[in-house]
Amino acid sequence: MTRRSVETVGLTKAFGGVVAVDDATVTFQDGKINALIGPNGSGKTTFFNCVTGMIKPDAGRAMYRGQDITGRSPHRIARAGIGRSFQLCRIFPRMTVLDNMLVAVRTTSLRAQLANSHNRSDLDRARGWLRRVGIDHLEGVEARNLSYGQQKLLELAGVLMGDPETIMLDEPAGGVNPALIERIAALVRQLNKEGRTFLIVEHNMDLVMSLSDHVVVFDRGRPIAAGPPPVIRADPRVLEAYLGV
Amino acid sequence: MPSVSSLLRLSVVVAGAALALSFPMLAPNPYILSAGVVVASYAVLSTSWNFVGGFTGYISLGHGAYVGLGAYGTGLLIIKAGLPSFAALLLSAALVAALAVPIGIASLRVRGASFVIVSISLVLILLLIFQSWASFTGGSNGLVVPRPFPGLRRPDHHLVFFYLFCALLAVALLSWWVIDRSRFGMGLKAIREDEDKAQSLGTPTFAFKLLAFVASATFTALGGGLYALWFGDLDPVFQFSILTGAYMVLMALLGGVRHLFGPLLGALVVGSALEYFKVEYGSTQLHLVATGLLLAAVVLFMPDGVIPALSDVYNRLFRPRATSIREATAAELRSQEEVRG
Repeated sequence: MTRRSVETVGLTKAFGGVVAVDDATVTFQDGKINALIGPNGSGKTTFFNCVTGMIKPDAGRAMYRGQDITGRSPHRIARAGIGRSFQLCRIFPRMTVLDNMLVAVRTTSLRAQLANSHNRSDLDRARGWLRRVGIDHLEGVEARNLSYGQQKLLELAGVLMGDPETIMLDEPAGGVNPALIERIAALVRQLNKEGRTFLIVEHNMDLVMSLSDHVVVFDRGRPIAAGPPPVIRADPRVLEAYLGV
Repeated sequence: MPSVSSLLRLSVVVAGAALALSFPMLAPNPYILSAGVVVASYAVLSTSWNFVGGFTGYISLGHGAYVGLGAYGTGLLIIKAGLPSFAALLLSAALVAALAVPIGIASLRVRGASFVIVSISLVLILLLIFQSWASFTGGSNGLVVPRPFPGLRRPDHHLVFFYLFCALLAVALLSWWVIDRSRFGMGLKAIREDEDKAQSLGTPTFAFKLLAFVASATFTALGGGLYALWFGDLDPVFQFSILTGAYMVLMALLGGVRHLFGPLLGALVVGSALEYFKVEYGSTQLHLVATGLLLAAVVLFMPDGVIPALSDVYNRLFRPRATSIREATAAELRSQEEVRG
């Protein structure tokens, strides 16, 4: 049996009268590339934000590997092993690419916190990830001067710097050219082979279907279908949700 | 071997320090010397402010609160508890540090303009308390703080305190520098850029902000306490003044909050200007008008302060081929080569 990664039971979040996530009970599988799809406004990003602690759910629970993480603050969830990217990409615009990476270094003791941030081992690790995503030649550039695609790669590299076992990506292919989508997809596959679990919100169906092992479909804040890509593709409820027939 | 640019930087720092330390010898009269003490105290305050304003981007307009608390704490501990002057100063700063924890927990929950308003409200509350509780604080009649060196003549008194403020400034600058290059400092700067993003990467943002806030309040209180020992007379209207906080913000912004010496440079400019205005137009409120105009000019034309503005000019004049992409310094290139080995 596969181990459980992120799972939720009855997760609910409303903004005023709009119920963004409505009694969602979902399980994502450890070691797999999971996808979360659904029409615009179906509550995918709110679901992400509830799981990663950015917003507190009104009801229900979120678990990670059997551990209750509901209502924990985002940095504790990050330290539990969940890294995330943001829709529309968030980086630290007025810091260099290298410094963007060094933010993600985690230490607990005061002594380690006061150590030089530009130390050999942190720099080596940061440069290693930058090389892996292919932007190591830009390490001295202020992040705001990068192209959007490069910023997306930087965000991914920054998430990886925290060495998360589970990586939640919010629209990794959004606004990115096809060649770069291929690069990101290849990277996700490789990282998954190395044992990292993925949970991806994405609108690019070709990418979702070719990349993922397990797909969950949201509609109006609740899961309406879950399964491997071929099953999802054939599911009439999914077609209905997308086409509104 | 250190690079040319770091040697240059070091020599500027050494020259600046030498100039500062020889100032009392160069000052033509005790009045100029006392103005120097005021400017040095401003430099301490604006550098202290920059622990929270510069690193985290939380703009506190109410740092006058910690100046006043440090000053009154020192004075009251000497008068009411009979402590020696400098023991009172240190204990007072420690008490302010302890008090800054709950204040920080309450006020750092809000960001941006809301934080500014909360910070101002604290000064106003303290002003009312220290004015109304006259039996304890002396109220509007003021509080006379005994001098630590009663035998000293006035010019020597200024001289000693000028060096004391310089020493405190050196400690504050050193602490800021240590934080600036540390992992902790990297986390604080990430908070300034995007707090939620920093937290999602595992930075305990609230604890980090609180630590910076407490450090800032503590150094500010030390500055205020030292001022109390020097000036010897406290009045709530001046101690818990919005203006004090506004000056700290103006000085730090003018010099450049991202730079170690930014607030110090700002204090030199604004502090000297304020003293000049007090001498020339002391009976008017012209210094307030000038302060307001200067603040507007800085925010409009030099949002990053004098230091980046000057280095931009330098780059345009002497490095005409500079690209839009920041160039790596020789030191950076070398360290890269070392790493790649």
